[in-house]
Amino acid sequence: MNSQSIHFRLIAWYAGVLLLVLLGFGAFTYTTLRFFSHQVLGESMAHRAQQIADLVASEPAAKDPGYVAREIEKRYDPAANDRFVRVSRGDGNGLYLSGPPNDRSFNPEELPPRQGSAKSSSYQIEAPGGTALLVATQRVRVGNDTFLIEVGATLTANERLLHRLLTTLLLGLPVVLGVVILGGYILTKRALQPVQSMMRAAQEITISHLSRRLPALSSDDEIAHLAAVLNQMIARLDESFQNTARFTADASHELRTPLTIIRGELEAILLGRKLEPELRDALASLLEEAERLVRIVEGLFALSRLDTGEAQTERVRFDLAKLAETTAEQMCLLAEVKRIELVYETATCVEIEGDRSRLKQVVVNLLDNAIKYTPEKGRVSLAVRSQNGSALLEVSDTGPGVSAVALPHLFERFYRADEVRSREIGGAGIGLSIVQSICIAHGGAATAANTPPTGCRFTIELPLAPRS
Amino acid sequence: MRILLVEDEEKVARFISVGLKAERFAVDCAGDGETGLQMATLNPYDLLIVDLMLPGISGTELIRRVRRQNTEVPIVVLTARDALSDKLTNFESGADDYLTKPFAFAELLVRIKALLRRGAVPRANVIQIADLEIDRLAHQVRRNGVAIKLTAKEYGLLEYLAANAGRVLSRTMIVEHVWDQSFEGLTNIVDVYVRQLRAKIDEPFEKKLIHTVRSVGYVINENGEE
Repeated sequence: MNSQSIHFRLIAWYAGVLLLVLLGFGAFTYTTLRFFSHQVLGESMAHRAQQIADLVASEPAAKDPGYVAREIEKRYDPAANDRFVRVSRGDGNGLYLSGPPNDRSFNPEELPPRQGSAKSSSYQIEAPGGTALLVATQRVRVGNDTFLIEVGATLTANERLLHRLLTTLLLGLPVVLGVVILGGYILTKRALQPVQSMMRAAQEITISHLSRRLPALSSDDEIAHLAAVLNQMIARLDESFQNTARFTADASHELRTPLTIIRGELEAILLGRKLEPELRDALASLLEEAERLVRIVEGLFALSRLDTGEAQTERVRFDLAKLAETTAEQMCLLAEVKRIELVYETATCVEIEGDRSRLKQVVVNLLDNAIKYTPEKGRVSLAVRSQNGSALLEVSDTGPGVSAVALPHLFERFYRADEVRSREIGGAGIGLSIVQSICIAHGGAATAANTPPTGCRFTIELPLAPRS
Repeated sequence: MRILLVEDEEKVARFISVGLKAERFAVDCAGDGETGLQMATLNPYDLLIVDLMLPGISGTELIRRVRRQNTEVPIVVLTARDALSDKLTNFESGADDYLTKPFAFAELLVRIKALLRRGAVPRANVIQIADLEIDRLAHQVRRNGVAIKLTAKEYGLLEYLAANAGRVLSRTMIVEHVWDQSFEGLTNIVDVYVRQLRAKIDEPFEKKLIHTVRSVGYVINENGEE
């Protein structure tokens, strides 16, 4: 998926935010649970210590030294419950010490007694062997003696609980994230689907299909509005394009009659009478210019008809390589006059479908252009081949090439790459526009590129005829 | 030979009729479709030249009505439109030939002559201009009895010039007849081929047959003048 697409970015943001929220929530849950579970255990230990302290201070304990130990074993059975209980006198002599727990996770004898004289305290300690214990202490005075009661419990159960919580969170996170991404993918895809289809439809509306419109959407959302706005824009484009094309057609049409008169009158004078040489030259020059105007008008008319799609008259299947070859043969004399080598690189049959005479004109215009701009003893080569499902026709020359500034404008009407040189050579300045328009009308394209160190290459690309 | 010209553009009508009169045709002019139709029905013309864009009855309609009574008379259409559909409509309505403005007068003349002799005079198989001999069946060219070898294009060019001997042919006409419409605007190719042709036909001989009419075109004739 394209990482720049709205689709991708929406999902990425969505998933990213959700991941952060889940991680935060997980960490909060974990630390809170850990805190409270320790707190609850600590409270329970303190309560137990208080109960044992009461036991130590009770009357039967004063009479019977074994009473406390027996009562503790009877009531709490510390060893069986993985608990630790120690009752010691102020001088350090032990009164009671619970046995090692069933799971042998610590040895009560190795736990150092709590120092200090606080009445009660609660602390965490690590037994030799690595087991963490939470211990609550309670001091109690009985007569002259001070007893220290220590009650502890391993944190193993708590840790196990926390560990399971963590595991559940870590395992659940990718699953939740996956579901969220999938959901987001489906959701955004559905939301953006009209945009996709609109994009495809808009791509198909090229210059020759400006009369088409985007399909109207039945919904009343932002995308339907966008489609409506785009359609309005295309309609305006269509209208202005039609106007331009109509103007060109009308203008060249209106120019025809006056041109007929100018040309006819001049021809009549030049053919009919004996004239002064100076007058004759002047009239001949006028006729030449009239002819040039005629060519421009014809070209413009042809262009406007290509633009409006009127010109698509016939579509036949033929071999572009063969057409290029015969055209090159017909033009080789033009090259010979300038002692230019005209090379034709033969290809096997490259079949396309289209208007034969218009495509021939493409070849003629490109070769004529190449021959014009190539100095004497240069070389012009023509190649036709099929590549990636397209027919390619290339015309390369050894002329001076085209400046980088001019290159993108070469196919524009009346664009002259080099004011001075072009005027010397002549031409209406629309030959290449015609080439491009013909290519576009055939669903193809025309491009130009410099071929360092010298010369340039014109390439036309046309769709191959479908396999019969 | 009597020709009716139906053309509403006065100036176009004038240079055509002047030019045709110089070629010894009798020319009548009509400025609108109504008048044109009347004249065409009243007088026996050898040929009609009809502009399509006429006030009153359109050119297409005029041709259709003329054809109802007279299926024989050749009709040349002049038009400022050159869409193919127009062309078809006109041939269907009965026009024999079709010229798009702006046309060269020489071209009009060639078409008229071709229509007038169509069917009447059998096409000559051998054209003779001075000591130049063109065999149109065998595609062979001799001058002074010596065979001259020409390429297909050179032969085509020579034959076109010779078939219209004495008539000036414009480069555009030559390009369209000898090459095809794709070469339109590429009139310098004509100069190149004419030069080539001259080298074979004229240069070895004292009497030159192919002549340049500056800015207009080329002509082949035996008088040695334009």
